[in-house]
Amino acid sequence: MGRFKNKNRKPFVKQIAKKTPTVDHVTGDKIPKSLVFSRGKIPGPLRQLQMDLRKLMLPYTALKLKESKRNNLKDFVSLANGMMVTHFLILSKTDSAAYLRVAKMKHGPTLTFKIHKYSLAADIAQSQLRPRCPPDLFKNPPLIVLSGFGTGEEHLKLTTFIFQNIFPAIDINTVKLSSCQRIVLLNYDKETKLIDFRHYSIRLQPVGVSRRIRKFVQNHQVPDLRSLQDVSDFVTKAGYGSESEGDDEAATVNLSSDIGRVNRASTKSAVKLQEIGPRMTLQLVKIEEGLCTGGLLFNEYGNVDAKKSENEEEDEQESDEEEMDIDE
Amino acid sequence: MAEELQSVSEATNYFRKRKMELRKKGGKGKKKQKGVPFSEKRVKIDNKMKKLFEKRARDYNSDNEDDNDAEPAPVTRAKRTSYGKDKPKSYGKDKPKSYGKDKPTSYGRNKSTSYRKEEEDFDEEWADDGEEDLNEEIEISEDEDGQVQPGITKFIDGCNAFRLAFKKILKKSSSDDILGPVLSAHKNLVAEKLAEEDVERKVKGDAKREKHLIREKGHVKPANFLDAYEKSLIAVATKGASSILSAYVIQVNKAQHAQKGLNPSRAKDEKAIKKRRREVFFSELGKTPSQTTVSKAGASNSLEDDGPSWAPLRDNYMLTNPKLKDWDKNPDTTVEDDVRMPADSDSSDDE
Repeated sequence: MGRFKNKNRKPFVKQIAKKTPTVDHVTGDKIPKSLVFSRGKIPGPLRQLQMDLRKLMLPYTALKLKESKRNNLKDFVSLANGMMVTHFLILSKTDSAAYLRVAKMKHGPTLTFKIHKYSLAADIAQSQLRPRCPPDLFKNPPLIVLSGFGTGEEHLKLTTFIFQNIFPAIDINTVKLSSCQRIVLLNYDKETKLIDFRHYSIRLQPVGVSRRIRKFVQNHQVPDLRSLQDVSDFVTKAGYGSESEGDDEAATVNLSSDIGRVNRASTKSAVKLQEIGPRMTLQLVKIEEGLCTGGLLFNEYGNVDAKKSENEEEDEQESDEEEMDIDE
Repeated sequence: MAEELQSVSEATNYFRKRKMELRKKGGKGKKKQKGVPFSEKRVKIDNKMKKLFEKRARDYNSDNEDDNDAEPAPVTRAKRTSYGKDKPKSYGKDKPKSYGKDKPTSYGRNKSTSYRKEEEDFDEEWADDGEEDLNEEIEISEDEDGQVQPGITKFIDGCNAFRLAFKKILKKSSSDDILGPVLSAHKNLVAEKLAEEDVERKVKGDAKREKHLIREKGHVKPANFLDAYEKSLIAVATKGASSILSAYVIQVNKAQHAQKGLNPSRAKDEKAIKKRRREVFFSELGKTPSQTTVSKAGASNSLEDDGPSWAPLRDNYMLTNPKLKDWDKNPDTTVEDDVRMPADSDSSDDE
């Protein structure tokens, strides 16, 4: 009996230790982990959105989290305590709209977003001619880019902060460039007060190389030379001029090391993004002090954030519209 | 079937007593063969009941028949009414052949079960309403021997009437309807019912659609092309991504710069490279290695010792990054930290 028990236990413990390091191996930062789940009954498309969000939050999330009707928030909290989970993403649905709550364990705050529009990853893949999903796309956490949050309003600062910490911060010294595969963009629109939530995959392409040659290097396939007079035409003849439009200085990177076959060191590479979804248009509705409870720090409809203003420091100004959290 | 049919025709033929005797013999035998429950019922009927039945049968009308016997009555009555009143309808619905089959069986069953004694009266009454038609029709359709039974005298008349009626029906029922021959009253009913169903379906569909709308609320299928707004978003994201990546690249370049002149394949040089990298890294943090080791000594108690070789760093990093402790006090300092890193690296490059 006892022996059997021991046998069972040991590998189990080991596995957990391997799979979920709570502290970054290199930087020593605490790795934020998240749980994505739903409260109440949500329809099929929202369920799909929940799954997409889980994929987005990979690798430090419970992809196959099973919920039942009986689970209440307490269950999740106790689970989160055991698993060192730091963030909750909670989907819910009312007759008027769907809502996304982003809560920080254990004591809040909780941001409640109204989801005005959303598209699933599947929808986006369907809309694309060649959806891209390399196998190790979800092996590393995404980078996050917050744009337009620098208006100086407190609730936006708080939002910025929460979202910056929802993905593990990376150390720029130790990160591998190949691990930066995805990027999450949150763009705040001042006029409409809506936040656009997008999820892209990152791809690097060498600049200044014709498409034909790039494909040739990439694909290992013998090119079709039937239409050409001479072999040299293959190199010299320009292909379609479709690329190079977006290749301004901002979108290029000078690589220091080789990445793959086409992106060699000391060549310029263009950063190409392709959307992988999900896509959401969010509106920050309210911020609660606690974990889905507590006083209101911010309310979109009735402004009750007088309390908050005392706590917040106002000396900090966002330098420009862009804030980046660099993740590993 | 055939036997029973025979018995029907016989019944109209002979005298009562004789017929009864015959029936008693033959009928009982058949019944016993057929099933036990019927024979038991037959035994139960006593004289008193018999008389009552007879009396009732005498002043027979369709209502009284119900009381006579519980089981077979509904069947027979239904049959009779359909024959007598709604001739065209029933003819239209059923095949004519079925008359020959159905009617005699029910008739025979009646006799064999409970009517046994008083069926003479019944017989007469049956004959009153459309019985002739029946029998003659039987002969037309089913009678194999082709004999004209002695009891049936109005064969030709009946046949003619039936023929006329049937012809009329046949003419009528050349229907253009999908539903087949339907009485006009019925037609309206059917139309009404169809309309009702239609309305019902519509209401159901509406409800379903509404439900679906609620379910799908907010769900937007993206367009196949990138509109200007999406493009601008991608541009923003690209800008962000490239700045992150280039920050990284600057960092790595610096490290590479440090290892110039050393061959990484040689073990000795490798060590030197590692050392330099480390220095660069520390300069990145704005501290000397010695400083960090000091801080490590202070903080190592709290953390386990089996970290990587530069584990002290992470303690230090934790200390310099207080964002996890009081996130709500000054959230923006951390942002600044992240952005500042590459800038720092530039300055340290000069060393």
